[in-house]
Amino acid sequence: MRTGKWTILLLALAVVAATVHAEEFKLNIGGTTYTKWLWGNMRDDGSVYNFTTVPGEGYGDNGQGSEVELLLDAKVSRYVSVKARLHSRFNQNQWTNFGGFGGTNPPKDCTGGDCGEYDPRSNQYVKLRGVAVTFTPGYKWIDTATIGANDFGMFDPFVIGRIRYIDRDNASGLLFQGSANRRAFTWDAVRISLPRLWAGPNYNTGNYTAADAAYGYQFKYTAGSAFDFGGIVQYVNDIEVDNRDTANWDNGRDYRTRFRNGVWGAKFGIHPSSVVDIRGAYYRSSVDSVPMGISNDAPGSFGINGYSSVIAGRHKGESWKLNADFNDPFENGLSFNFELFSIGAEYVSMMAARRESDVLLTEGHDAAFAFPGPSNASYGIWGGNATRIGYGGWDGNAQQVATINVDNEFTDFDEPMAETAIGWKGITFTPTFASGALELAGEYTYLDYNTNWQAWGDPSRSITNTDYPATELDTGVGHNFRTAYQPFQDRTTHIALIKGKYVADVGKGLDIFFKIKTIQEKDYRMNDARFLPFVAGDCPGGGQACANNKRYYSPNNSTGDYFTNPPVITVKGVTGYQWKPFDSLADDDRDLDYKTFQLGVGYQVTPDLYASAAYELYKVDLKDGNTAFQAYQLHEMASGKHEKNKLILKARYILGGAEIGFEYQWNFGWFKPDFGDGFVVQYADADTAKNVHVKVGSRGFMGRWGGWNSLEKREFNQQRLKAFMKVQF
Amino acid sequence: MRKSVVWLSVGLLVLAASVFAQEVALKDPTGDDNGPGTYTYPTDTVYKPGSFDLTSFKLKVKGDKADIDVGLNSALEDPWRMGTGFSVQMVFVFVKSGKGAFTAGLPGLNIKFAEGEGWDKVVIMSPQGASRVKSEVESKVPKDMQGAVVIPGRVRGAGRTLSCSVPLADLGEGDPTTWGFQVVVQSNEGFPASTDLLTRKVNEFEGQHRFGGGNDGDCDPHVMDLLAGEGKGDKSEIAAQHEMLKYECGEGGETKALASLKMVYPAK
Repeated sequence: MRTGKWTILLLALAVVAATVHAEEFKLNIGGTTYTKWLWGNMRDDGSVYNFTTVPGEGYGDNGQGSEVELLLDAKVSRYVSVKARLHSRFNQNQWTNFGGFGGTNPPKDCTGGDCGEYDPRSNQYVKLRGVAVTFTPGYKWIDTATIGANDFGMFDPFVIGRIRYIDRDNASGLLFQGSANRRAFTWDAVRISLPRLWAGPNYNTGNYTAADAAYGYQFKYTAGSAFDFGGIVQYVNDIEVDNRDTANWDNGRDYRTRFRNGVWGAKFGIHPSSVVDIRGAYYRSSVDSVPMGISNDAPGSFGINGYSSVIAGRHKGESWKLNADFNDPFENGLSFNFELFSIGAEYVSMMAARRESDVLLTEGHDAAFAFPGPSNASYGIWGGNATRIGYGGWDGNAQQVATINVDNEFTDFDEPMAETAIGWKGITFTPTFASGALELAGEYTYLDYNTNWQAWGDPSRSITNTDYPATELDTGVGHNFRTAYQPFQDRTTHIALIKGKYVADVGKGLDIFFKIKTIQEKDYRMNDARFLPFVAGDCPGGGQACANNKRYYSPNNSTGDYFTNPPVITVKGVTGYQWKPFDSLADDDRDLDYKTFQLGVGYQVTPDLYASAAYELYKVDLKDGNTAFQAYQLHEMASGKHEKNKLILKARYILGGAEIGFEYQWNFGWFKPDFGDGFVVQYADADTAKNVHVKVGSRGFMGRWGGWNSLEKREFNQQRLKAFMKVQF
Repeated sequence: MRKSVVWLSVGLLVLAASVFAQEVALKDPTGDDNGPGTYTYPTDTVYKPGSFDLTSFKLKVKGDKADIDVGLNSALEDPWRMGTGFSVQMVFVFVKSGKGAFTAGLPGLNIKFAEGEGWDKVVIMSPQGASRVKSEVESKVPKDMQGAVVIPGRVRGAGRTLSCSVPLADLGEGDPTTWGFQVVVQSNEGFPASTDLLTRKVNEFEGQHRFGGGNDGDCDPHVMDLLAGEGKGDKSEIAAQHEMLKYECGEGGETKALASLKMVYPAK
C-alpha cells in the first residue's frame, strides 16, 4: 500500500514536470526533401552529382535520387537554444538501388550504387549535421557563445570564409561574440577544429589531427554612419606527435608543428553620403610547412605539377583591395564602381572561402571552359581521362576566391563555379545604368599578375623543384579553376563586357537579356633566352638528330630536363622531328582572343511557371604554345579555333510549397587544332585510337611522355538535363 | 480665337497638374535601420551596413501602371544568386487607397495598423520569384487578405534602388497622392518559419542569419525600418519610428501589445 502511494505520487510529479517542460520548451521540427534527376548523353553513371575530382567518389550525368533533411531546433530556455539536422546524402543513393539492398561485398571501387548496402554512400545512410548549442547568457561582456557546427560566414572570405563541402556547416568550433557601446563595437572570437580532409599541406592535417585548430578574432568599430574600421587575425596550428620523443612517455609526449599559418588584416569604410562608398582592406599572411619524416608529411617542395591546398615552405604574402562606389551621382540611374586590387602569389589563408564567395568585382572567366582540354578534360592525352563536367562546363561566370584551395566538388552543371584569384592584381571599372524597363551593366578589367616570373621566381632551383603546387598548370582556353601557378609566366589580361536586360511590354512582360564579353590575353611565358632548354642550333633539322647540349640557366639547372628534344622519326616516308624542338621563346607563347555572345528571353507563363530560353556562343582563337610546349606534355593542347554553342532551356514551377526546377542544355561546337609546324605528323594506331577515342589512322602527334594530341577537327554534340523537386515541410 | 487659347491653356494646366499629381515621393532618414531603436543586423557578411535602411519611396503612374522605387542605404548585391540584382532585402509596401480594410499585418511581421490607418493593398517586393511569393501567400496569408496582396511579375535591384511595376488598378482607385503609404523593410528568408511569409526573425541576440535586439517570441515587430512622420526624411522621424514600433512582450515571449503602425501621407 505504501509502495502504491509513492508510485502514484511519483507519477503525478512526473506528469506535472512533463507538463511544465512542454510549456516552457518548444522543439521545432522542419524538413526539406530534395529529389534530383540527371540525364546526359555522356552516359556517366557514378553518382548523382555531375562533378568531383575526389578519387573514388564517382561522378555522373545520369541518375535519379532523393534526399531528406530534418531540421531540429529548440529553445531550451531563455539562455540556451539547440539546433541540429539529420540529413541523408545523395552520392550514390540512386533510385535504381531499389532501397540499397545487395551489392558488391566487400565494397570496392563503388560507382553508381553498385556496392548497395555494403557502402554508406549507397545504402541510404543518414548523417548527423549542424549540431550546435547557442548560449545567450545575458552577460555584459559576451552576447552569444555557439558551440558546434557553423559555416563561419560572419568572418571575412579573405581570411575565414565559407567552406562548403556538400553542406555548408561541416566545420565545427567554438564561437564567441560580443559587443560594446550600443553595438558600435562588435567582436567575434573563434576556435575551429581544423578539417582533416583538406586544411593542410597535401590536403590533409597529418596523422595527429584531433588537436589541430584554427583560431580567429575580428572586431569592427562603427563610428557613426560615415566611418567604420575593423581588424581580423587568424592562426592555424597543425601539430604532430614528435617522433623524436621516444625516451620516456611517462610524462606525456611532445609535439611539433607540421603546418602553421598566420593572417592579419585591417579594413575601413568611408560613407560620406548615400552616393559615395569607399572601402579598403589589407591582409598579410605567413605560412610555414615543416616536413618531419612521417607519413602524411608536409611536402618540402613539389614537382612541376604538384597538388596541395597550400604552398610548401615558409613564405610571407599580402593582399589588398580598394573599392570606390558612386551610386547614381547624377540621379539619372547611372552608377560606377571601381576596384583596385592585388592578391599576392604567396598569400595564404588556410580557412579563406573556398567557394560561394566572390572577393573581386570582376566577372572573371567563364565557367564553360573550366579545365585545360577543349572538352574540359584534364590529362586527356592519355586514356581514361574524359571530361567530368562535360563540354558545356558549368553555367555562367566564375566567382573569385583568394585561395588555391578552391572547391567545386559535388556540384552540378547549373551551379556557380569558383576560381582562384591568387596572384591577380589589377583594376576593374563597372558602370551600371537602370532606367524603367532597361538595365545595362558593363565591365572593364585589366589584370596583371604577381605570378609573372621566370623559373617560379627562383632561378637557383630546378623547375621541377618548387614550393608552388601548380594543380594542372595553366593551359587551355579558360583559367583552370584551381590553377594559380606555372613555371614561366609573363601575362596580361583584359576583360570587357556589356550585358543588359529589358522587360518588353508584351503580355505579362517579356524579359529579354543579352551579354557580349571578350577576354584578350597574352602570356609570353618564357621570356628570357637563358631559360631555353638547349643551346642554339642544337637540333639542326634535315633529318639529323639533336645534339642534346643543354643550356643551363643556373648551375645544374636546365629546362632541357623537362622539355626534352624530339627523336627523329619517319612516317609515311616523311622524316623529321616527332615534335618541334623547343628552340624559340615564341614556342610557348599564349595569345587568346575570346568572345562570348548571349541572348535570351524569359516569361512568366502562368502565375506558377516561369520559363526562359537562352543561346550562348563562344568564339575563341587561341595560340597556346606549339608542339614544343605540348601543354606541359600533360594536357590536350587547345591551340586553334574553338566555337562552342549552348542552347539553354530553364523552367521553374511552384505549386503549394513544392518547387520544381528544370534545365536542359544542348552543347555543341567544334575545335580546329593549329599546333604550328616543325614536326612530323603521325597517325593513330589501334591502341591509341582505343585509348583516347580517335579514329584509327587519324592525324596527330605523340608527345614527350607518350600522350596523343589529335590534329583532326573535333566536333562536340552533348546534351544534358537536370530536374529537381524541393519540398519544405 | 482668344477663347480657344484660354481653354487650351486651362486644359494644358489641368493636364500638367494631373500628370504631376501622379507621383508620390517620400523620404526616410538614414541610420534608423534598427526597428524600435534596438535592433541589430545578423552577423553574416552578406548583410552589409545600410542593407535595410530605407531612404526613399517613389510611386509614379505611367499609363495604367504604377512604377514603385524603394531606395536603401547600401549598394544592392546578389550574393545568393537570386537573379534579381538583390538577395537579402524584402520590402512590403502597404497602401491605404480606400477605407483601410485591414488593420492586421502580414504573417511574420508581427505588426498591426492603428484604427483608421488600415491598409487596402500591399505590394510584396521580394527577390524570390513571383511564383514562390504567390505560393507562400496562398499558404500563409488569411484567405480574406489574399486578394489584397499584389505580387509584381518581377522586382529588380540596381544600385541602391529596388524597383517594380504593378497595374495601377491593383492598388485601388483614385489619385495616389491622396493615398496613405507604409513601407516596411524586412529581409528575404528562403527558409522561413512555417508561420512567416518569407521573413527573417528578430531575436533577443543577433545570429548569423537572425536580427537581434528584440525578443525570441513573436511579440516584437519584425521590421527593420519604415516610413514615419511626414515622410520628409528629417531626423525627427527616427523618434517617430521608434515610437511607432514600440511593443510589449510577456515573460514567455507572448504578445502583450503589438507595434501599431500609421500610414504616411504625401504632402499636399
